Amino acid sequence: MAQFSSNEAVSLSKTINNHKQLANTPDEHIYDYYDIKKCIYWIQSNEYKKVCLQFPDYLLPDSPKVANHLQNELQQTVYVLGDTAYESCCIDYVAAAHIDADAVIHFGPMCFSQPTCSIPSLFIHEKHKLNIEEFLQIINTEFSSITDCIIVVIDSPLLHLKDNICFNQNNIIVKSITDSDLNVQESTVIYVGENDRKLMNFNFIHKPKQLYYYYNGNLSSYDADLKILKRRYFLIEKIKDSETVGIIVGTLAIKNYLKIIERMKKLLKLNGKKFYMISVGKPTVAKLANFPEMHVYILIGCAMNEIYESRDFYRPIVTPYDVEVALNSNASTDLKFSYDFNSSIAHDSDNLAATDKSDVSLISGNIRYNSEIKMNEESRLVLKESSGALIESHGAGFLANRSWTGLEQNLGQTEVMLAVDGRSGIAQGYANELEL
Amino acid sequence: MVNFTVDEIRAMMDKKRNIRNMSVIAHVDHGKSTLTDSLVSKAGIIAGAKAGETRFTDTRKDEQERCITIKSTAISMYFELEDKDLVFIKNIDQREKDMKGFLINLIDSPGHVDFSSEVTAALRVTDGALVVVDCVSGVCVQTETVLRQAIAERIKPILFMNKMDRALLELQLDSEELYQTFQRIVENVNVIIATYSDDSGPMGEVRVDPSKGSVGFGSGLHGWAFTLKQFAEMYSEKFKIDVVKLMNRLWGENFFNAKTKKWAKQKEDDNKRSFCMYILDPIYKVFDSIMNYKKEEYEALLPKLGIALKHEDKDKDGKPLLKVVMRTWLPAGEALLQMIAIHLPSPVVAQKYRMEMLYEGPHDDEAAVGVKTCDPNGPLMMYVSKMVPTTDKGRFYAFGRVFSGKVATGMKARIMGPNYVPGKKEDLYEKAIQRTILMMGRYVEAIEDVPCGNICGLVGVDQFLVKTGTITTFKDAHNMKVMKFSVSPVVRVAVEPKNPADLPKLVEGLKRLAKSDPMVQCIIEESGEHIIAGAGELHLEICLKDLEEDHACIPLKKSDPVVSYRETVSEESDIMCLSKSPNKHNRLFMKACPMPDGLAEDIDNGDVNPRDDFKSRARYLGEKYDYDLTEARKIWCFGPDGTGPNLLVDCTKGVQYLNEIKDSVVAGFQWAAKEGVLSEENLRGVRFNIYDVTLHADAIHRGGGQIIPTTRRCLYACLMTAQPRLMEPVYQCEIQCPEIAVGGIYGVLNRRRGHVFEEMQVTGTPMFVVKAYLPVNESFGFTADLRSNTGGQAFPQCVFDHWQVLPGNPMELGSKPYQIVQDTRKRKGLKEGLPDLTQYLDKM
Repeated sequence: MAQFSSNEAVSLSKTINNHKQLANTPDEHIYDYYDIKKCIYWIQSNEYKKVCLQFPDYLLPDSPKVANHLQNELQQTVYVLGDTAYESCCIDYVAAAHIDADAVIHFGPMCFSQPTCSIPSLFIHEKHKLNIEEFLQIINTEFSSITDCIIVVIDSPLLHLKDNICFNQNNIIVKSITDSDLNVQESTVIYVGENDRKLMNFNFIHKPKQLYYYYNGNLSSYDADLKILKRRYFLIEKIKDSETVGIIVGTLAIKNYLKIIERMKKLLKLNGKKFYMISVGKPTVAKLANFPEMHVYILIGCAMNEIYESRDFYRPIVTPYDVEVALNSNASTDLKFSYDFNSSIAHDSDNLAATDKSDVSLISGNIRYNSEIKMNEESRLVLKESSGALIESHGAGFLANRSWTGLEQNLGQTEVMLAVDGRSGIAQGYANELEL
Repeated sequence: MVNFTVDEIRAMMDKKRNIRNMSVIAHVDHGKSTLTDSLVSKAGIIAGAKAGETRFTDTRKDEQERCITIKSTAISMYFELEDKDLVFIKNIDQREKDMKGFLINLIDSPGHVDFSSEVTAALRVTDGALVVVDCVSGVCVQTETVLRQAIAERIKPILFMNKMDRALLELQLDSEELYQTFQRIVENVNVIIATYSDDSGPMGEVRVDPSKGSVGFGSGLHGWAFTLKQFAEMYSEKFKIDVVKLMNRLWGENFFNAKTKKWAKQKEDDNKRSFCMYILDPIYKVFDSIMNYKKEEYEALLPKLGIALKHEDKDKDGKPLLKVVMRTWLPAGEALLQMIAIHLPSPVVAQKYRMEMLYEGPHDDEAAVGVKTCDPNGPLMMYVSKMVPTTDKGRFYAFGRVFSGKVATGMKARIMGPNYVPGKKEDLYEKAIQRTILMMGRYVEAIEDVPCGNICGLVGVDQFLVKTGTITTFKDAHNMKVMKFSVSPVVRVAVEPKNPADLPKLVEGLKRLAKSDPMVQCIIEESGEHIIAGAGELHLEICLKDLEEDHACIPLKKSDPVVSYRETVSEESDIMCLSKSPNKHNRLFMKACPMPDGLAEDIDNGDVNPRDDFKSRARYLGEKYDYDLTEARKIWCFGPDGTGPNLLVDCTKGVQYLNEIKDSVVAGFQWAAKEGVLSEENLRGVRFNIYDVTLHADAIHRGGGQIIPTTRRCLYACLMTAQPRLMEPVYQCEIQCPEIAVGGIYGVLNRRRGHVFEEMQVTGTPMFVVKAYLPVNESFGFTADLRSNTGGQAFPQCVFDHWQVLPGNPMELGSKPYQIVQDTRKRKGLKEGLPDLTQYLDKM
């Protein structure tokens, strides 16, 4: 086994960068904070045998305590998923499938992505505090003059307080963010929770007429981040310019992800672009820079994924929405941006058509290749100069342009030597190299 | 009305020795379009009486309203020369035997410096240039710029002194003074010509010389003009002297004594300069008698000059009469036509020496030979120099010159964009030419085919070219050389639609705008802002107007103009910068240092470029910039985009596997050179040295993923430790004004961080010329400011000149560069504040 994985010691001593404060809930609060009672009731009533517990990284310190409570009460083993393959907000079905689990209990922040539902799951939210009196008072004074319907949406960490929040006015409705029938397009929404990615996604997905958010005793109005929307224009041009595209599989848990991948493939093919499917677990700067021949990456992943906005990547990362707008000339005109592909394009018609009008790129200022012209060319093979071998353009053409094309054999020039002992272990840390 | 048909023109196109392709170039407001009218009216396209007012080649509404040419406009005209004039064409390649007719393809170009790119595009497709100079204001900055460009492109100039009516009526110069003015202008022009070419060059004699007839005089507005040839012809019989000999006598230090009937070489008491006596005096007399209403005098004078007035003109007096008289006596069209036909080269003559300037490929391949011999049976070689909008929105005529072979409607041709490299597929299309057309100012005429030596338009090519390109039938043809503009797009505005739903229309409009102007850049930035970059405020103003009214047709919101900056360093990195790869197994050690002065410019101009042989490049760098020879041989690349003014140099010694990671390091360098550490602007004038590299022994652990991001981090650390600076673009600004206004100019320039480096009086005039450097960023509203501070007497012309380090440390809170960096970061949607060195620099 040691040949195939790195030394445990390396993993154990690795420092993890975390934005959030690590949890350390006192023992006496564990039972309430993690809703142990609800979990037990759910497991027992459904008679699940193997149950996995999934925590985000910052709640992991509490996980043994939660597991202990459950095991003591249930008298059966529960499993803690130590790491999640993609985002901790989505249920990690693959990890759960490793032990053939019957059910998953997900703790901590969740996302809006619709799961693939292959394993029954229960979401247990964190329990944050809120000064309800102050909140009600602020809302009452600020919105007393408005008679239109106002919807108060409560974020998951505050859901435990939902029953305590009620208003005198009839026009204010209280809903929870997990409700499936959040129909807020025409209304003013007061979101009770932090101004973070989730709020941004909420705005993109549900598109309320007007959005306020209440956090830490302050009520503020939320405006869609224009920077994000503007950057789409750039990314859309970039996609149109690209010849080679990487499709990163960034989720296995979100509904329709296969359908979207297929759709992306079809669109790329229609537009004469070469694509590669890339599955590298959590995408990082270093992993993706291993494919310098890609011009653009499409990340099929959870809307909570922060790398969509990261500028550290060698090549830009785009959403399926961007690709749809850039490459599908049949895309419906009222397509609205959202990081969540299920709420933007998954339900669009399958009627795809290439954009084959000749075009000027606004990035390079050159004429853009388009599929129609490409197909007309006599062949797509290029001659590799030195060897005379035929290679296909795109990715192979990129390799042909590299100055380093591989080891030179130098047959007859290299001295013949006896075999010597090589190194043992894996390259990340050979036995003789660990001190580095 | 029009005295030729398209069929006649088509027939003329085959007579390549009788073709003249020419552009009209000059400083702004020196009267190009007005003068062009004279020729257009001679061709019968507009009525003679309207000539000078119509400005036929100003086809756009705003051109007519503002009285300024914005786009260059082409027109083809057919003329016949009289037998007596034909003998003046001596070169056998300048005239087909027994042919009187000439086909003149004329391009009228704008004079404002902001539109110089139009001039460049016009010059490329023509062989000769009519340089127009206002004889009142003399040779101005733009005269010099366009003339210099013409010479560099091997375009033969002839000179025309315009606005003589003003010299006579307004300035009331006496004849000797006027001669001196003319003489000075001719000298000035010849000095410029001599600076950029010599008579022994491939073009032969380039200088202009009134006594040879290559200098014209007159008034475009009034429609009269002459060369010495006209007057020599009038007098030759009287003096019994040959016309050519007499022309020599009529210019320069030749004096005639009316009493003794003797010629002399110096001025004496009772003799008079021949030019004044025989040419200016009669003109002065006509002016004097008519403008002072001396009816008997001019009624006696006119028949003597051989002027017979039409019946309806006889009742006129004053200025209208003067115009008619002068126009009848010395018709401008005739004089110009003779100058053009006799002194400008035919394509046969011109292409012989222009080929090597035009063609990128080997000078002996089929295409080169076809161009050189102007062979209609050779392979097609055509250069498209600009796109002209059609009435069909979004479509363009590709306008250019056929240098070899024939281009015909329906023929299949290879369309090669500027990025085409022989043997590769990029920027190459094989398509049928939908239609060939003749450009006639505001009209176009379909034409079956066009042989070499002619200028024409193509339909259907616009989809495959952005602005320029080469069209050929020769499979191994290289590109025709891309044009070099004298201006750069340094002023930028961001645009967005007033109604966000109109965005697709804006994008479409920007793409059209990008095509319609040879210089403008329409870019979308990483932040998603739509940027239009132009040469100056006026250029941008016109582009924005076109975008709003013609291309996008939506209301727009425009930002204030901004300039783009460059990031550079001022010292060598004070520490050796180390960055480790994400897996910690690879280490890069590098430093940044500024390039010596002049090297960045050398790279810009292509004197030092990535395609050079590395040995000769190293020698050049060693000699001129004192670079270490071994290091200079190991320049890995230029950047950004593989050609920019930054270098990555391998200074390592004996590092294993180094060649394997070269591609990755280069990729990281290109990335960092394009997006600098301060505000993601391009770098300029930075040399990065790689001193040492330690690499993991296993190839998979030193792949692109480990090296590319690490290189970028390391380069960023190098920049931050090398005293980073910002560079701003600077205009060279030339201001003409009377002496009293000079003080006002200094005041305005001082307030705008400008500094004067030259101030001189224009000899023979009360005018002063002030030359100054002015940061582009301070130039917005400069013209208006200058006018209000000088009572409207100063008029500046600004051309991008160089990049200059902005004083102050951008890493220092509160400094001006710091503020600029913050503003730029904000605009680009980057995190505000300063970059953090610890993010990029690692410890051992």
